Amino acid sequence: MSFLRTLIPFDIIGGLTVTGRYFGKVFFSANRKKIRANLAHFTQEYPEVPVKLQPRFRGRLTLLKDEQGEIKCVCCLACEKICPTQVITIEKGKKEGRKMPFPVRYDFEMERCIFCEFCVESCGFDSIILNHQFELAGYNREDFSLGMDGLGHNMFEPSPVGRHSVAED
Amino acid sequence: MPTMTLTQTLVMGLLQCVAVLILIFVMVPLLTFAERKVIGYIQVRLGATRTAGGLVGITGALNRGMWAMGKLPVLSILRGLPVFIADILKLILKEDIIPAKAERSVFTLAPIISVMAAFGVFSAIAFFPGVLFTFPAKFPIVGGLPFMGFISDVNVGVLYILGLSSVGVYGIVLGAWASNSKYPLLGGLRSAAQIISYEVPLTLSLLTPVVLAGSLNFKDLSIRLSTGADMHWLGAIPLFVGFLVYTTCGFAETNRTPFDLPEAETELVAGFHTEYSGMKFGFFYLAEYTNMIVVSCFASAFFLGGYYLLPFGLQRLIPASVPFLGQPSILFFFLKVFAILFLFLWVRATLPRYRYDQLMDVGWKWLIPLTLVNLFVAGLIRYAF
Repeated sequence: MSFLRTLIPFDIIGGLTVTGRYFGKVFFSANRKKIRANLAHFTQEYPEVPVKLQPRFRGRLTLLKDEQGEIKCVCCLACEKICPTQVITIEKGKKEGRKMPFPVRYDFEMERCIFCEFCVESCGFDSIILNHQFELAGYNREDFSLGMDGLGHNMFEPSPVGRHSVAED
Repeated sequence: MPTMTLTQTLVMGLLQCVAVLILIFVMVPLLTFAERKVIGYIQVRLGATRTAGGLVGITGALNRGMWAMGKLPVLSILRGLPVFIADILKLILKEDIIPAKAERSVFTLAPIISVMAAFGVFSAIAFFPGVLFTFPAKFPIVGGLPFMGFISDVNVGVLYILGLSSVGVYGIVLGAWASNSKYPLLGGLRSAAQIISYEVPLTLSLLTPVVLAGSLNFKDLSIRLSTGADMHWLGAIPLFVGFLVYTTCGFAETNRTPFDLPEAETELVAGFHTEYSGMKFGFFYLAEYTNMIVVSCFASAFFLGGYYLLPFGLQRLIPASVPFLGQPSILFFFLKVFAILFLFLWVRATLPRYRYDQLMDVGWKWLIPLTLVNLFVAGLIRYAF
């Protein structure tokens, strides 16, 4: 029996079947626009075709808003305390008709951020996420200090150089 | 066929040689491109797409428009095809370095031997057994003459091809020795041992069709095997086993994976061509891919039915009166050649390299006894029926 197993290359045929199946899959789906939803190949034609990211991808920090368009953050400062590089600065404030404290300023210094997602994990109110933007290059250092308002420094808007990354998923 | 004058014979021979050379110089770059794409697809990526797939240049204008409309570019499967032009340009323009301590004359001679041995084999290979087309009468010298599908019709073609193709190893060994460096020398020694070991089962497996058909002429052998003229139908069994053994030995002869010990990247830098650069390296490269085409032509002609559709002598199932499928065609021949070339790439993307002792084990303990038994069976079938 072991003689026959050595003589007839079952394992080689098995290996060829596996690779052949992958070849067929990629060959018949590589250049079709229609079946782009479930690609057989893992590499992506990035600048032309928008990239599909994994759901747990860690991109730029963003504040979330609830159904009324109110910022969910209540200024508990958990994220500011846990941040290993201290890139988050929150200024507490009050707002008319809101019981909880309201962040007047929420500054995020992206140039020192290590994208560890500790802030999101520590947040008890699910009010911040790291979104799916990955094109974060800037032309000067000021581009990296993000806040809640301002042109090009607004963390609610997509990154100024990011034309292909997705803001919210 | 009209009798030809000396001038006509010479001109026709030259034309056929040029045609075969053009075939080689078209097929080899396309094969390198196919290698990139096939291995890419097997490894679940796209392979080369960027040479004509970018957003600059002439093709870029077309691509920009297509991408802007949200469509894939028209020639999307051919994106990256110009990469083979870039390959050739790089090899030609690169500086040709000869190491100071190298043996200059042998160092230069080695790639030439390799490439001559690879090209010379084509003089006995018949791509089509008859006339491909006839020149119209208005041509000055060759008017009215037939253009055959082969360069020369050698009676002992198989012997000639086997002899010439084993000269190729001299190129590798001499180049490795002349480099005056450790890694090439080791690669060359391995290559010599490997090719001598695998030359035996290769030749023995080729004896199976020779015994079954009773001819050494490339064209006759192929036609007799595929049409099954004076061959019993049981002959398909030794032919099939012979095909498997022949392809295995063909991989070893052309130094392809899983038998690429002479140029094992992980152990020997690049093996015998470590010290080579520029067009001298290009010649080794050309020789390797030409040898792949030669092996494919052989397997196609002797085992897979050659110019006829069905392999292993099964062509007798289709009567010759059937218009296209029953007739010999150059298309069938090249279809099989491409299939074997694809198998080369497929196996390269699948199997890892053998260890040196495993290589010798497979060669001497398994393949040679197997081919001997196979040859005996073929002889029995030939004798009994």
